[in-house]
Amino acid sequence: MAVKKRKERAVGGESGNSKKFKKYSNSKGPMKKNKNDKRKKGKGPRLPSALRTELDRLDPKIASDSDDGIDLDVGNDVYEYEEEVPQEESRKNRRFDPVENYEYELPEDFEDENVPSDEDDDDGDFGVGGNKGSLNDDVDASDGDEEEDDERHLRMLQGVTGMSTDAFGGKKKRNSVVISEAHPESEYNPTRDVLEGDSHITLQDLLDPIQGKAGYSKLRKRVQHMDRKSTSVQAPLPKVDREKLERMAVYEHSKKDITKWEHLVKRNREAPTVFFGGDVDLGFSTVGAIASEFEPRTEFEKKIASLVYDDKVMEAHKADGSKLLELNKISEEDYMKHQDHVAKMRGLLFRHEMKQKRIKKIKSKTYHRLKNKDKLKVESAEMLMDPEAAKEQARKQEFKRAEERMTLKHKNKSKWARRILERGLNAQDEGTRAAMAEQLHQHALLTRKINTVKDSSSSSDSSSDDDDEVSNEDRASELLEKAKEKTLKVLEDDEEVPNSGVLSLPFMVRGMKKRKEEAIEEAKLALQEYEQLEGTNDAENSKPATASGRRVFGRANNEVPDSNKKTKTDNKMKMDNYYGNSDSEDDLKAKENVNIEGGKRNDVEKDVGPNYDRKEAADVSIFKNFEDNGDPGSKTTYEVAIFASDSRRKMKSENGIDKNAKKLQQVKEAIVHDKDMEEGEEDSDSESKQMVDGILSSAPKESYELPSQSELIRHAFAGDYVEEEFEKDKQEILNEENPEPDKPVLLPGWGQWTRVQQKKGLPWWMLKEHEDSKRKREESLKKRKDAQLKHVIISEKVDKKAEKLQTKSLPYPFTSKELFEQSMRMPIGSESNPETAIRSLNRPEVVKKPGVIIKPIKFVEMHHHEKSEDNKRSGQKQKKNKSKGASGKNKKQSN
Amino acid sequence: MWLSSAAASADRHSATVRLSLGLFFFIMGAKKENNDDEMDEKVKKYLRGEAANLEGLKDKKLKGQLAVREDLYGKSAKTAAKIEKWLLPSEGGYLEAEGIEKTWRIKQESIAREIDISSSKNQYDIVLPELGPYTLDFTSNGRYMAAAGRKGHLAIVDMKTLNLIKEIQVKETVRDVVYLHNELFFAVAQKKYPYIYNRDGTELHCLKEHGAVLRLQFLKNHFLLASINKFGQLHYQDVTMGEMVGNFRTGLGRTDVMQVNPFNGVVALGHSSGTVTMWKPTSSVPLVKMLCHPGPVSSLAFHPNGHLMATSGKENKIKIWDLRKFEVIQTMPGHAKTLNFSQKGLLAAGTGSFIKILADFSGSQNYNSYMTHSMAKGYQVGKVLFRPYEDVLGIGHSMGWSSILIPGSGEPNFDSWVANPFETSKQRREKEVHSLLDKLPPETIMLDPTKVGTVRAPQKKEKPTKKEIEAEMEAAIETAKDTDFKKKTKGRNKPSKRAKKRQEMIERAKKPFLEQQIQEHERSRKKQKTNPETEMPKSLQRFVRQKAA
Repeated sequence: MAVKKRKERAVGGESGNSKKFKKYSNSKGPMKKNKNDKRKKGKGPRLPSALRTELDRLDPKIASDSDDGIDLDVGNDVYEYEEEVPQEESRKNRRFDPVENYEYELPEDFEDENVPSDEDDDDGDFGVGGNKGSLNDDVDASDGDEEEDDERHLRMLQGVTGMSTDAFGGKKKRNSVVISEAHPESEYNPTRDVLEGDSHITLQDLLDPIQGKAGYSKLRKRVQHMDRKSTSVQAPLPKVDREKLERMAVYEHSKKDITKWEHLVKRNREAPTVFFGGDVDLGFSTVGAIASEFEPRTEFEKKIASLVYDDKVMEAHKADGSKLLELNKISEEDYMKHQDHVAKMRGLLFRHEMKQKRIKKIKSKTYHRLKNKDKLKVESAEMLMDPEAAKEQARKQEFKRAEERMTLKHKNKSKWARRILERGLNAQDEGTRAAMAEQLHQHALLTRKINTVKDSSSSSDSSSDDDDEVSNEDRASELLEKAKEKTLKVLEDDEEVPNSGVLSLPFMVRGMKKRKEEAIEEAKLALQEYEQLEGTNDAENSKPATASGRRVFGRANNEVPDSNKKTKTDNKMKMDNYYGNSDSEDDLKAKENVNIEGGKRNDVEKDVGPNYDRKEAADVSIFKNFEDNGDPGSKTTYEVAIFASDSRRKMKSENGIDKNAKKLQQVKEAIVHDKDMEEGEEDSDSESKQMVDGILSSAPKESYELPSQSELIRHAFAGDYVEEEFEKDKQEILNEENPEPDKPVLLPGWGQWTRVQQKKGLPWWMLKEHEDSKRKREESLKKRKDAQLKHVIISEKVDKKAEKLQTKSLPYPFTSKELFEQSMRMPIGSESNPETAIRSLNRPEVVKKPGVIIKPIKFVEMHHHEKSEDNKRSGQKQKKNKSKGASGKNKKQSN
Repeated sequence: MWLSSAAASADRHSATVRLSLGLFFFIMGAKKENNDDEMDEKVKKYLRGEAANLEGLKDKKLKGQLAVREDLYGKSAKTAAKIEKWLLPSEGGYLEAEGIEKTWRIKQESIAREIDISSSKNQYDIVLPELGPYTLDFTSNGRYMAAAGRKGHLAIVDMKTLNLIKEIQVKETVRDVVYLHNELFFAVAQKKYPYIYNRDGTELHCLKEHGAVLRLQFLKNHFLLASINKFGQLHYQDVTMGEMVGNFRTGLGRTDVMQVNPFNGVVALGHSSGTVTMWKPTSSVPLVKMLCHPGPVSSLAFHPNGHLMATSGKENKIKIWDLRKFEVIQTMPGHAKTLNFSQKGLLAAGTGSFIKILADFSGSQNYNSYMTHSMAKGYQVGKVLFRPYEDVLGIGHSMGWSSILIPGSGEPNFDSWVANPFETSKQRREKEVHSLLDKLPPETIMLDPTKVGTVRAPQKKEKPTKKEIEAEMEAAIETAKDTDFKKKTKGRNKPSKRAKKRQEMIERAKKPFLEQQIQEHERSRKKQKTNPETEMPKSLQRFVRQKAA
C-alpha cells in the first residue's frame, strides 16, 4: 500500500506538468485536475454531494474553483446522473474491489513510449469508458477510504503545525489510473502516464530512442548530472517587485558607499567660506625658471647662445672667476677707438640738441606752418620711390606756383581774357565761359592761399591779447560814446529851412520845428541816460578793486538796469521805514520805538516772503528783536538793550535823520550810486557805534542793568498763551490725521411727524455709529507715540523715501524678526571693526581665483577626533555665549 | 586743590600717544583690580548688544551660519577691546575739589599755574574791538578755527600753531560761519546770501537760494548745508553736487536758534513760541515739535550721543531733555545766550560776560555746576564752542574771541577714521575721497537711525492714490472691452447691437469707481462745509490765514 502510494504520488507529480494528453475515463482524475488545470474541456462527471462536501472541507478555495469548473460543465455532461450515489456512500457493496488488484506496477525506470494517436485515444476512451464503469467505482471507494485517512492526517498536521492544508496538499496529487489493456510499450502505444492526461514527455523519453547511438552515454551522464543537481525553479517575480527589490539592494549598497562622503559634505556646508584653487601651479615662478626653458631659435639668439655657452666661457665659469676677467680683456686700441667714437657721437648729439632747442624756441606761426608743410612734402617725397626726382618735381611745382602768384596770370589779365570780357561773357559760347570760370577758380585758389597767410601773420603781429580785453571792457562805453556823439550832432545841427518848395510853406515849417523840438528833448534825455550809464559802469569797474574776492555766479554785469530797479525799490522800502522811525521816535520810549522799527522791518520782510505768518510774527516780534542781530535796525536794538541811555538814543535818532536826509538826496541825485554809498555809510555808522561800545563796555559799571518794569512784565506774560496754542496746534494735527466724526444729524422734518418720535431723538443706529467712530478715533489717538506726552507732537507721517532703508518682509532663512535684527546689529565695515576681523567678516561664501578649474571633491579620510569635534562644535558655541550672557547679567546686578 | 602724582603720568601719556590736552589734574578712580572685568565690559560694549539666542532655532543651516557669525563678532569685539586697551590709554581727567574747595571757584589763573606750557598756550584773549561780536567754528578735528566778526571780518586760524592762515574782509554783515567737511572750505552767512569760501579766502559760491541766512549748520556725514533764513525758511543744500535737497517754511517765525543733532543729523530749531522743532530734509513737516519753554527759546545744544538736548529759554530756565522719551530730565535756573556740549558731555552756557560749565560726572544725568568763567566786564558772549579733542572752550564775544581751559571736556583719544587733529594734507585728501564715497543720502536722516536695515513695522493700510484708482479703472474698462460675445441669433448679432452691449459693459465696469469718486467728493464737500474758513464770504476767503504745510 505504501509503495503504491508513493508510486502514485510520483505519477501525480509527473502529471502536474503534462497538459496535452488527457483522459476522461476516470471520473475523479479530471475532477482533481480541474483545480489546477484551467483548460478543462468540461466533460467530467459531476461529483457526488458527499465528496463535494468533503472536498470543500479540505480546501474551500479548491472546491469553489471546481464548482466553477463544474458549473461550466453542467450543460455538456451526460453522465452526471448515472452515478449511483448510495453504492458509493454506503460502501457496503463489495463489488467494487480495491483497485490494487488491477494496478499496474511500473518498473522504476519505466519508459513510456506508447503515445496513442488521437483516434486511438478516442476509441480507447470509449472502450475503456464502457468497461471501466464498475472498476472506476471500486477505485473510487478505496480512494475514498484513503482520502479519509489522508484528510485526518492532514487535519492533524494542520492542528499541530498550524499551517494550511496546502502545504501538505502535495500528497494528494496523485492519480489512480487503471489500465485494462496492456500494450507493448512503444512510441505508438502511449504508456499509462501518457494516457492519464497529466503525463508528459520527460527527458528520459527523448533519450531512450537514441540509446546505443554514439554520444548517448555522454548525454545521459549529463542529464543525470543535471537531474541530481536540479532544483525546482520558481516563477520569476513580477517586474515591479523585482525592480523594487533591485532598487532596495542598490540603495543599501550605495548608501554605504556614500555615507563615507558625509563628513566632507558637512564640513563644506558648515564652512563659512569655501576656498577653491588653494594650490595652483602658477608655472614659472622665477626669472631663472623661465630662462632655463629658453631655447635659441632665431639666428641672433643662436649666435648669442653660442657665445654664452662657449666652452671657454663655461670652463671659466666652472673653474674660477679670474679666467673670466682674462676673457674680458680689451686691447688699448680698441678701447681708444671706442672712446673716440663715443665722444664723437656725444658731440653730434649735443649739437643736434642745441639746434633742436633753438628751433623749438621759434614762435613764429609762419615758420611752423612752413615747417609742417616741409614735413608733409618730405613725406610725399618719401612716398615716391625715387627721392631725387621727387624733389626736383616739387621744386618745379613750387616755382610754378610762385610764378603764377607773381604774374597773376589767371586773373583775367591775359589779352584773350580781356577781349572776351570786352565782348561780354554772355556773348561767348559754353567752352569759353567754362574756360574763364576755370581760370578764375584757379586764381581764387591761389589768392586765397595768399590771403590766409597774410591774415594769420597780421593777427599774430598786430592784435595783442591785451588790446582784446580792453576792447571787450570798453565796448559798452564806446558804444555809449558813439550814441552820445550822434545825439549831440542832432542837437547841434541846425537844419536849414529850405526857401522854396513844399517844405517852405509856413505850416510845414511850423510842424518841422515842433518835431525838431521834440527830437531835441528826446536827445537830451538820452544824453542824461548815457551819462548815468557811464557812471554805473565806472562804479562797477571800480568795485572789484575795492571788494576783493566777490564773485556772483549766474547773471553778472549784463543786467545793469535791472539792478538799478532793485536798488530803487530797496531804497523806497528803507525810506518808508525811516520815516516811520522818525515819526514814532518822539512819542515812544526807546525800546518800543525799536520794537516798532523791528516790526516794520518784519513787515517788509513779510512782503518779500510770501505766505509769511503775520500774526505770529507780530506776537513774537518783541522777543525776536531783543535777540535780533540780523539787520541794521535790530542791531541797534541789541546795543540799546545793553546801554539804554538817553544820549545814546538821541545820537541814534540823529543818525537816522541824517541818513534819511542823505538818502533822499541820493535818491534825487543819482539812484545808481545809492547802493554803494549807503553801504559804505552804514558800515561807517555802525563802526563808530562799535567804537563807542568798546569804550563803554570796558567800563565796569554798565555791565548789567536791571530790566525795566515793562520789560519784566512782558517777559512774565510773554508765554501766557504758548501752551494753549501748542495744544491747539496738536489738536489740529490730530484732527487732520483722524478727523472727528460728524455729529449725527437728521434731515429737517424727518421723523418729526409726531411728538413721540421727537422725544425719542435720534435713532439708535445713528448714535451707535457715532459712538463707534468716536471710539475708533480715540483708540487710534492712543496708539500715537505722543499720546502720553502733552508737550510733544511726533509726526506720524511715513517718509516714502526712507522706506527703502527698511525691509518689508523678513529675508528668507530668518523666521523671527528679533533674530534677524540681532544678526544685523553689528556693522561689518572697516570703520567699526579692527583690521584683523574685517576680512573674515566680509569674506564671500566662495573664494575662487579667476581661471581656476574647480576639481571634483576628493575623498579624504577623517580622523576620529576631528569627527567628534565637528559634532560638538555648534553646541559648544551656544554654551559659551550663554555663559557670557549670564556673566554679563551678573555683573549688572553686582553693579 | 592739589595735584596728584597722576598728573605726571598723564603727561607721560600725552607725550607718547598725545591725544588730548594732557591736562589731567587727577585721574579718577583707582585702577580696576580685575582686568578681566574691564575687558569684559569693553567687549560687551563692542558687541553692541546681546548675541542672538539660537536655542530655539530649527533651521540648522541658519543656526550654523549665525553661530559662525556670532563667533566672528565676538572675536572682533575682543580685538577691538584689546586695541582700545593698548592703543587708546589716555583717560580724560577733570578738576576735583578737596575739602571745602569747590571746583567752580577755581579760576583760569590758578589752572594756568599748574599746567605745562603747551597747554597754557590755549588760554588767551584776542581783542578785536572794531569788527563786532565774533562767532566761531572749529573743524571736526579741532585743528582749525574760523572766526567771523559781524562787520565782515573773517579769519582762519591754525589752532595748533596759532598762526593766522588767512584773513579777509567781506565788507558786509556776517552772521554765521561754519566749516564744511574739512578746513578747505567754509560757508559764511552774509548780509544777503550765504557764500562759500575756500581757505585762501576765494569766494567759490554764492548760495542765492538760501536768502538772508541767520544760522548755518553743516551735516558732515550727509554733506548737507542747512540754513535758516530771515523768513524762517529752512534750506538744505547738498554741497557735493549743489543740489537743493530741501526747502521748507517752518511757519514759526524768524529764528536764529539752530543746531544739528550729531547722532542722527536731525536739525533742531528753537522758536519764539517756546517750541523746538526737529527737521529732516525729506519731510515738509517737523518730525517732532515740542514745547520746551513758555517763552522764546534762546539757544539749544545736543549731546554728542544724541540722547540729550539742552535748551534755554528767555524765562530764565535751562532745561535738559531726554530725546528718547522727550521728557525733561533737569531744569536749572539761568539764562543762556548760547549753549554747547563738549565731546565728553560737559555743557557750557554763556550769557552776558559770564560762562558757566555744567558737568555730570556721576553719570546719573544730573548736571551740576563744574566751572565758571567771567570775561572782562562788558564783553557780550555770543557763542561758546568746545574745541574737539582738546580741553579748550572757545568763546566768541563782542570784543573778539577767547579761549579758556576746561579740564575733561575733550575726547582724549582720537580715532583717525573719524577725525585726526594731526592730519597731513595727504591724509586729508584721502579722507575727503573716503567721506565722499561714504556720503549718506539725505533720506537716511531720521529720528532713530538704528532703524535702518530692520524690518519695517506693519503700516496701516493707506488709501489708494488717485493714480492707482485710475489705473484700476482703466484695467477694468480694458477687460470689459476685450470680452468676447457669443454669437447670437440673427437679429441680436447686429453690429449696432453689439456695440451697444459693449458700451453697456464698459459702463458697468466703470460704475463702482465713479460711485466711489462721487462719495469721496461728497465727503470732502461736507468737510469743507464744517471748515470755518469756507463759511466766510468768498471775497474774504483769501484773507484767511494759510496753514503752514
